[in-house]
Amino acid sequence: MQFALSVAVDATLITLVLALAAFGLAVIYGLIGVINMGHGAMLTLGAYFTWWSVSAGLPFFLAVAVAAIGVGLIGLAFEHLVIRHFYERPFETLLLTWAFFLIATEMIKIVFGSDFRNVASPISGAWVVGPLNLPAYRALVCMLTLVLMAGTAFVLFKTNIGIKIRALVQNREVASLLGLNIARTYKLVFFAGSAVAGLAGGLIAPMLSIDPYIGNVFLVRSFFVVIVGGVGQLLSGTLIGSFLIGGTETIFALFSSQVIAQAAVFFVAIVLLRFRPQGMMRGR
Amino acid sequence: MTPSQQADAPRRWGKEGFWRGETLFAIILFAALALLPMLAGGYIVYILPQYLLFGMLAMSLALLWGFVGILSFGQAAFFALGAYALGLALGHWGPSGSYVGLLAAPLLGGLLAALAGYFLFSAGVRATYFVLVTLALSIIVEQIAVSQSQITGGWNGLFVDRIVLSFGPLGTLELFDDYAAYFFILPVVALAYVLLRWATTAKFGKVLVGIRENEDRLTALGYDISLYKTAAFALSGAVAGLAGALYGMHANFVSPSLAGVLFSTEVVVWVAIGGRISLIGALAGGVIVSSISNYLSSIIPDYWQLALGVIFILVIIFFKEGFAGAVTQTLRAARRRRQ
Repeated sequence: MQFALSVAVDATLITLVLALAAFGLAVIYGLIGVINMGHGAMLTLGAYFTWWSVSAGLPFFLAVAVAAIGVGLIGLAFEHLVIRHFYERPFETLLLTWAFFLIATEMIKIVFGSDFRNVASPISGAWVVGPLNLPAYRALVCMLTLVLMAGTAFVLFKTNIGIKIRALVQNREVASLLGLNIARTYKLVFFAGSAVAGLAGGLIAPMLSIDPYIGNVFLVRSFFVVIVGGVGQLLSGTLIGSFLIGGTETIFALFSSQVIAQAAVFFVAIVLLRFRPQGMMRGR
Repeated sequence: MTPSQQADAPRRWGKEGFWRGETLFAIILFAALALLPMLAGGYIVYILPQYLLFGMLAMSLALLWGFVGILSFGQAAFFALGAYALGLALGHWGPSGSYVGLLAAPLLGGLLAALAGYFLFSAGVRATYFVLVTLALSIIVEQIAVSQSQITGGWNGLFVDRIVLSFGPLGTLELFDDYAAYFFILPVVALAYVLLRWATTAKFGKVLVGIRENEDRLTALGYDISLYKTAAFALSGAVAGLAGALYGMHANFVSPSLAGVLFSTEVVVWVAIGGRISLIGALAGGVIVSSISNYLSSIIPDYWQLALGVIFILVIIFFKEGFAGAVTQTLRAARRRRQ
């Protein structure tokens, strides 16, 4: 019983952290259809900006906010300079965002160096809830993830901007005819997705040692989360996808090595992708 | 494709263009490479085969990307698989494992590509998802190579000896000498070029281009799209596997990073710069960019990678067909002006 509970807690924590990491990607891919191969680099940038701001003396959560806005602005600049000319050609945007990854990674190496960096966790220790023993910081991040997702749902379904974005997703031409400024809405979504990636990178930073390639670990996994869950199913899709990807990894890691577990996860994801290319949360 | 380009398209495949264009250039290039050891020696003869094999890897990607229009981020996986296959065969059987290894490398590369390819193409998986799956394939191969350290040596890598081919009564061919290795690898790369060139100019290649341009029409005409795509991917994987085996042998070493995402990405950058529509462009891209990379990486590692990223972005935006495409267009414009 105790064992089952601790596995369940582990799986929940992994699911939600993964959902956080993948959410920025889900926003950009799900809403405006750009496969953002630079997502991993945005996570890494978020982590480095947080580390840099904390080193400059900012309190942790302010540093994370700085990272989110910083990465959002970088994403916005990239969108304005390059991506906005290629919305009609998804394959080109894939390559261009991959180039963003290459350039951002090298910039990180030049500006911040290649050494491992560590961000101290703002809260340490564990929360004891009944029989459960929750690592405090991870649990907090997981709650923030849920808040972030609920907030996104609120914006999408209860605000004016949300209606515009949903109109755009449903039918771009008609939305445009009705006077919606497509270009500005795309910019807004790209900014939001980049900022969420930066936020995720900052929040994940204390859980890992930061190096210029940490985002890579999350890039392919995030993609599988989004695709397995169902592109465009921002909330349910991301959660289900994270659960399947993260849960599979937890289970495999129980009786084999971490490395084999990750390979197994990719394999499972490829098989799911083959048989349900539309994702788990979409009917046929 | 604009109407004017479409009108030009048949000429590109016509007999006249065949001899005057790429093939002539290829003959000159390979002849020059064959004569090179008489002029230059030492280090160049030692190192050039490795770059040629990178070029061969680039050609394997150009077949997919340029002709079928599907991009693989997993070419490094096949390359590394080939290198491990030869290394393990030599480790197990000694020099007599040379043939087994050389045969196993393209077979394994082709088989893995065929399995993965058919699995995905038969379900009509989108080109963008194919990129992600091949990216994952690279990561899986890299991680298996890391984790199965009792077989592969893990991060320390695996020693790959130079091969010895025996021809029965005719004697043996040992590739320990740099010149022997050079004159073994150069014809292999040339043969790979001829094979791929033949595949792309034959009916097979025309169907592939047809798939790239209009998949639905080819389906309507009765072609089994997934079979053609799988065949192209398998051929690509086999060529990459053989190139990897020879690379491992030449460098005497294979490590998991040879399968990794970063190396896979480099291949894509070579082909983008060299020109995805032309095999010889990809070959030249692989050889030239990788040799410049190797040179500049030791002097200005970070800035060179940064420059490469910027060049990549500029190529995608302004020269979609890379250097080869730019040259072709310039020549075509010049010819038109003369007429």
